Amino acid sequence: MLRILRGYAFAIAGIAIGVAGLVTLGAMSERIVRFIEGGDRFVLGQISVAGRGMGMGAGFTAGGLLPAATIKKISAVSGVAGVQPQVMLPLDPSTSQFMTLTQELVLGLDLSVPMPNRYYRALPVRVGRYLRAGDRHRAVVGAAFAASHGLGVGSGLALEGATYEVVGILERMLTAPDRFVFVPIEDAREQWVAKDRLLRTLLASGAAALTAGDLNTGVAVGWRDGADPDAVARRIMAEVPDVNVQLPSELSRLLRASTAFFAALLVGIGVLALVIGGLSLANTMAAAIFERIRDFGVKQALGATDLDLAREVLGEALVVTVCGGAAGVGLAILLGSSIDVWAGRSGQQLFHFSTRLLGGAFAFSVLLGAAAAAWATLRVASLSPAEAIRRGA
Amino acid sequence: MLRASGLVKSYRAPSGEPIPVLRGVDLTVKDGELVAVVGHSGSGKSTLLSVLGLLEDADAGEITYENVCVSVRSRSAKSRARGRWVGFVFQSFLLLPSLTALENVVLAARYTGRDRTEARRRAQVLLDELGVLERKDHYPQELSGGEQQRIAFCRAVLNDPPLLLADEPTGNLDDANGAVIFDALRRRARAGAAVVVVSHRPEAAMGATAVYRLRGGVLEA
Ligand SMILES: Nc1ncnc2c1ncn2[C@@H]1O[C@H](COP(=O)(O)OP(=O)(O)O)[C@@H](O)[C@H]1O
Ligand SMILES: [Mg+2]
Repeated sequence: MLRILRGYAFAIAGIAIGVAGLVTLGAMSERIVRFIEGGDRFVLGQISVAGRGMGMGAGFTAGGLLPAATIKKISAVSGVAGVQPQVMLPLDPSTSQFMTLTQELVLGLDLSVPMPNRYYRALPVRVGRYLRAGDRHRAVVGAAFAASHGLGVGSGLALEGATYEVVGILERMLTAPDRFVFVPIEDAREQWVAKDRLLRTLLASGAAALTAGDLNTGVAVGWRDGADPDAVARRIMAEVPDVNVQLPSELSRLLRASTAFFAALLVGIGVLALVIGGLSLANTMAAAIFERIRDFGVKQALGATDLDLAREVLGEALVVTVCGGAAGVGLAILLGSSIDVWAGRSGQQLFHFSTRLLGGAFAFSVLLGAAAAAWATLRVASLSPAEAIRRGA
Repeated sequence: MLRASGLVKSYRAPSGEPIPVLRGVDLTVKDGELVAVVGHSGSGKSTLLSVLGLLEDADAGEITYENVCVSVRSRSAKSRARGRWVGFVFQSFLLLPSLTALENVVLAARYTGRDRTEARRRAQVLLDELGVLERKDHYPQELSGGEQQRIAFCRAVLNDPPLLLADEPTGNLDDANGAVIFDALRRRARAGAAVVVVSHRPEAAMGATAVYRLRGGVLEA
């Protein structure tokens, strides 16, 4: 075994490098796929409703306020199972007016109602705890947000002049919530008023009969088991005036359309990785066998049949590709994790080493290595022993 | 032991032109005989030995070992015939570089289904006879040409083959080492093996039962 490894040191190194390239590229793809899938799962798990035509909200949201009376009407629509009022604010409105998946956001949640999202009944907490009803000036932060702001449980976080105690940090979800700050909705309303001069003026003027419970940017709506979410969303549209309703399926389609380029890019990267990594692996394996063509001729002179040699070569190829593949996977993880340590300082993660990726890459390299070895053996077997000896000389 | 009749063999030049090498070779070697084949370089001596040892197919002709016709067999049956009947000694030794001296010798037992422990024991006896036992754990690249050829000789005779084919076995050796190898070959013949040696050295003819010259693709006495 050790003997084989020594004889094939170059081949193993070559295979390791090919597999490492394959796995690192694959891990970058997986990272992006996770991101897209995570977003998809989130929007498919709830119906998002925002206010419309109120002319307020000063650009924080596409719509406007969603007053308490409207929320009540939404709750009454048949098929609706839960409605959670929310306030979503950009952390720093000066940097960007657009809400994107990667933006840092403050999300105020009404903790007196459970999260209606089908796929996210609770957000997974890595350390500390999630928010509870009755919390004030406490915050739970996403993993990327915690990393880029250097936050831990017990840290203080200043938002609009108030200090929040960080009580929990979420698991890395590889999607939007990683950059969110979750606070009780009452706190988010405070921040909103503090941020938004127009809203302050409006409240002070008393022109609109607004109370704190009317200050919502949107609601997350859940549906009853067995109900068709798109149908429920359409009923809300029909029965409740002045709301913007997102059909889950349409939003998912939009999201997919906007990520179509990335999806295509990933397929391209994947194919390239397979072709380049695969070619280098197959080439290395075949070369390692052709290099020993004279040895095969000698063994045949000693009585070895083609089958004897094929068995030997396949056995060795298996050892070589398993070792090379394992070393390559290890190398890729080492490389990716090192880069992610660096990227993690700004809250980024570039690689995701999923088991399906590692298992797939490993199986791919072993199969391809065996195939290359079998092909090379067939080539050798087409020579007479005398020719094999001459060629290797 | 060995009977070859009407062996014809030609190679193809890159242009496709045939290069005739053997044009009808007949040769019989009985048990205990040592036959020397001489001839100038390029006369086809190596080709003849390859064909006799089933390392290469002739275009025509027949080869029998112990009255068994082996030249018509399948590729794998020829492999097994080599393992059972033939030992080879090559000019360039052809030891496997990844194996030690002892392992190279024992390799001869791997494909003939012989007992490994017994093979190791016999290999050490042979290495001792040839004076290279203390080199048994060395790799070929750590050994002199003379030492390598002695080890290659041990490998060739490990299975006690009734037919021993040696192609310029002393071509890369000095006189002293050459004498050791020739002596060992003669001893194999005395022990009953049929031995064919191809060489341009006059010592090859010493003690030979018969000496043939390969010229124009045929053997001359
Ligand atoms: N594989 C080959 N292809 C073409 N020609 C060959 C090949 N092997 C040998 N020959 C030619 O056949 C002739 C005999 O070669 P060889 O048997 O090696 O002679 P010797 O061993 O007597 O020097 C030479 O002319 C050589 O060039
Ligand atoms: Mg020759």
